[in-house]
Amino acid sequence: MDYILNGFVEAFRLIFSFDPEIIQIVLLSLFVSFSSTLYGTLIGVPLGILLGINNFRGKKVVSRFLYTFMSFPPVIIGLFTALFLARSGPFGQLQLMYTPTAMIIAQTILVTPVIMGIVFNNASTSGYEVVQTGKTLGAQRWNILILLVLELKGVIMIALVTGFGRAISEVGAVMIVGGNIRGFTRVMTTFIAMNNNMGQYSVSIAMGLILMTISFITNSVLYHFIIGDHNEYRD
Amino acid sequence: MNIETRNIVKTYQEKTVLNLTGDYRELLFESEKIHGIIGPNGSGKTTLMKIMAGLITPTAGDVLYNGQPLCQDIFSEMTYSTHTPTLFSRSVYENIAYPLKIRKREQNDIHQTVSQLLEEFEITDIKNQSARRLSGGESQKTALARALSFSPRVLFLDEPTANIDPKSIQIIEAALKKRNREEGLTIIIITHNLSQAFRICTHLTFLDQGSCLFSDTPEKIMAATHPTIDEFISFNRF
Repeated sequence: MDYILNGFVEAFRLIFSFDPEIIQIVLLSLFVSFSSTLYGTLIGVPLGILLGINNFRGKKVVSRFLYTFMSFPPVIIGLFTALFLARSGPFGQLQLMYTPTAMIIAQTILVTPVIMGIVFNNASTSGYEVVQTGKTLGAQRWNILILLVLELKGVIMIALVTGFGRAISEVGAVMIVGGNIRGFTRVMTTFIAMNNNMGQYSVSIAMGLILMTISFITNSVLYHFIIGDHNEYRD
Repeated sequence: MNIETRNIVKTYQEKTVLNLTGDYRELLFESEKIHGIIGPNGSGKTTLMKIMAGLITPTAGDVLYNGQPLCQDIFSEMTYSTHTPTLFSRSVYENIAYPLKIRKREQNDIHQTVSQLLEEFEITDIKNQSARRLSGGESQKTALARALSFSPRVLFLDEPTANIDPKSIQIIEAALKKRNREEGLTIIIITHNLSQAFRICTHLTFLDQGSCLFSDTPEKIMAATHPTIDEFISFNRF
């Protein structure tokens, strides 16, 4: 039991020592997760809206594939990304393996279906009504798109938070394509996993606390907009 | 705007929900009149209205607007509102102003029009309230004010007074009659309330199981001898 308590004490000491290596790991984690969430949003939101509001043959099949991809294990995504980026793979000449770019690619593949699935689900239900109403009021294509984004902004924010949560907390994909290289591709989750294996629990706890704090702050900031928005509509 | 339907058929997944190919294969909804579409549930009223409003396409047949097929110019002069309106997640004022804003009307013009509508529908006190937390009557009045804000030439209403209080019904009916009388607005309304149909409509079309059984003045429908119409009228009396 003592080692857990000592771990927490050591963790706080480590946090407040502002260790340059810890700061670098935190910043890289944030950079990779925010970048992949951004790309995931840019791809997933328009596609989710487009697929959601349009009725087409095979929509049910598309939704099943989409929901399957939402729960795809990160380690599998990491494996496939590595196969494509490896020196002998189709994109080997780009030399992206074991770089932050490779980590961003893997995480983008991971979070895009999550963001797209949430937006798709809501656009299929409420989005269709919004489009029809907009049309009957004389809205043109461009007006309808803006209207739809504004009406679905709460959902888009939830999708964004969920996507970011999945990105910052995953370890399998970034471990495979990033390689956990010190000072280059080491992020918070791979750092925790590595130190846990080495029995350095205090360092793992410290990084775990930082990870949870960052997740809490990020989610709080994003939820502030969502919950504020939704409260407005609550009786 | 005269709206004419010719041999309209609508089929969903091999089931025919509307088949206007019998005695009433051609229906005329005359300009500047208030037309009622009545009939039991599942008779095809909403389908017919959505086809006329250009929201769904018929499997067969045509709809003509002053003798012309539907185009963007005609579509932008019509509007449609249901008993479960989709109000946007913004204030009542902003909802009503929306059609004017997308038409790039001047700010003063928007303010004046919206203020008049708020007053007419007696919803000025809730103008800053979010449209997502309104009662049924308030939602209907907001939706109708929004639909009327850009002065359309044709207004399609699917049970606009279902499940709302008598005062709100009175306000809505008065607004519709005023727009029809003063601006020549053509109104096509679906209602289950026969007394309402008699109060405001100048013409009634009775649908049953996808077919039209009657289309004439409200007075003549009372004299009709069809058993389905008789049953519908007798149920409405109680």
